Amino acid sequence: MSTTHPAGSAAANAISGGFLDKSRTVAPHDYNRFTVPAAALAVHLCIGQVYAFSTYNLPLTKLIGLTQSASDDWSLVAIGWIFSTAILFLGLSAALFGRWVESAGPRKAMFVAAACFGGGFLVGAVGIYLHQLWILFLGYGVLGGCGLGIGYISPVSTLIKWFPDRPGMATGMAIMGFGGGAMIAAPLSIFLMDHFKTSTDNGVLGAFVAMGVLYFLFMSIGAISVRIPPTGWKPAGWNPSAHPKKLVTHAHVHVDVAWKTRQFWFLWGILCMNVTAGIGVLGQASPMIQEIFTGRVSPASAASFVGLLSLFNMGGRFFWASVSDYIGRRNTYFVFFLLGIALYASVPTLGSLGTIPWFVIAFGVILSMYGGGFATIPAYLRDLFGTMHVGAIHGRLLTAWAAAGVLGPVLVNYIRKFQIDSGVPKAQAYSVTMYIMCALLLIGFICNLLVKPVDAQHHHADNS
Amino acid sequence: MAKLKFYVLWLIVGVPLVWGVSKTLQSALKLFQ
Repeated sequence: MSTTHPAGSAAANAISGGFLDKSRTVAPHDYNRFTVPAAALAVHLCIGQVYAFSTYNLPLTKLIGLTQSASDDWSLVAIGWIFSTAILFLGLSAALFGRWVESAGPRKAMFVAAACFGGGFLVGAVGIYLHQLWILFLGYGVLGGCGLGIGYISPVSTLIKWFPDRPGMATGMAIMGFGGGAMIAAPLSIFLMDHFKTSTDNGVLGAFVAMGVLYFLFMSIGAISVRIPPTGWKPAGWNPSAHPKKLVTHAHVHVDVAWKTRQFWFLWGILCMNVTAGIGVLGQASPMIQEIFTGRVSPASAASFVGLLSLFNMGGRFFWASVSDYIGRRNTYFVFFLLGIALYASVPTLGSLGTIPWFVIAFGVILSMYGGGFATIPAYLRDLFGTMHVGAIHGRLLTAWAAAGVLGPVLVNYIRKFQIDSGVPKAQAYSVTMYIMCALLLIGFICNLLVKPVDAQHHHADNS
Repeated sequence: MAKLKFYVLWLIVGVPLVWGVSKTLQSALKLFQ
């Protein structure tokens, strides 16, 4: 990949500092910018493990009893909160440490994320060894959760700076890893638990230690490989359009200003509504398909359905974010909301017609747009607020994810329960939920419609 | 050397990703059997 380097890069390289220091990560002249998505993937593939944490749920309730839970074993309800704690701290740390990630640079941020996430497993292992649940919460939930948040945002602004011509594709490639991480972690966890299993140990402790070390090393490879572009770098032959699109700015907005603008909150609403619609379904996918097609879908087939949705979720992150480079961010979200409304509205009909393949395809497309929503938002932020603080702004916007993480499952679970308690057959208990999802997507559509360029008064004085 | 590092890094992230996707795909295809 040919690149253009102003002379300033040599000076920047010469500034000495620690190995993790931002000044030590300026790319050499022969650096291939497509190394950065691989480095970002090394981090995101690891932290995506959080979606497969449920693999450990049952084994963690049998640490003492081994084959079945003993009276002193932890309850499944208590274990279930570990995932929620990790996601909560993902949102909090992304919002709190976003500015630090921007100033420290991607290498230091990725390394800290590796230490937190890998360390979270190791501290969690101490909790398992001592059978102290609070240590497990502190380890995987709090420390690991911080690793998730810092790791999630750490490569975003670097990717956007390396790919000013294709920011959607670049961030989509990295964030795809977060969707794909569970696909590696689930079979890996099962393999490790089997490997460390003995007559007195169900293997969870060994698996936690092994995963902590493995993930630390894997994420560190990403940290070592990542580089920032020299000041003023741009892809060879690429020039910013003289007539930029209406919603794309070349100015920059400071993170402390950005979150006070209407545009930030419209984007918050867009992300929250898009995620709420997808996350509720994702959490209930297995029982939902079994109940809608009563007697026709076995638990094993339902698990296959969940796996297929994960694939669509991952693929959608790359596909839709790449598409957004051509049709624009706003139009991409219009597609998500309009197509999403049409598909959710068709689900009750597809269920009553008993057409499983079309039902699966409809939810596959819905989940691809759920993933696409995550992957396209960094580029949307870059379009509106510029590149200077995009990582920090992205971190604050991820609070919408935390809100959706509560709202989505609550809506799906409680409405279903209310319907069943009111005497509605299980097969039809999801119909109202689907129409509510349509209403949420309509709110997201309106938020997207209201997005206008950020007023020049909010632009940063120094745009260098 | 830079080229080698580039290919090695993509191999390091690509192999586990392909392994995970193939495992999921194997399981997912059972739905249509």
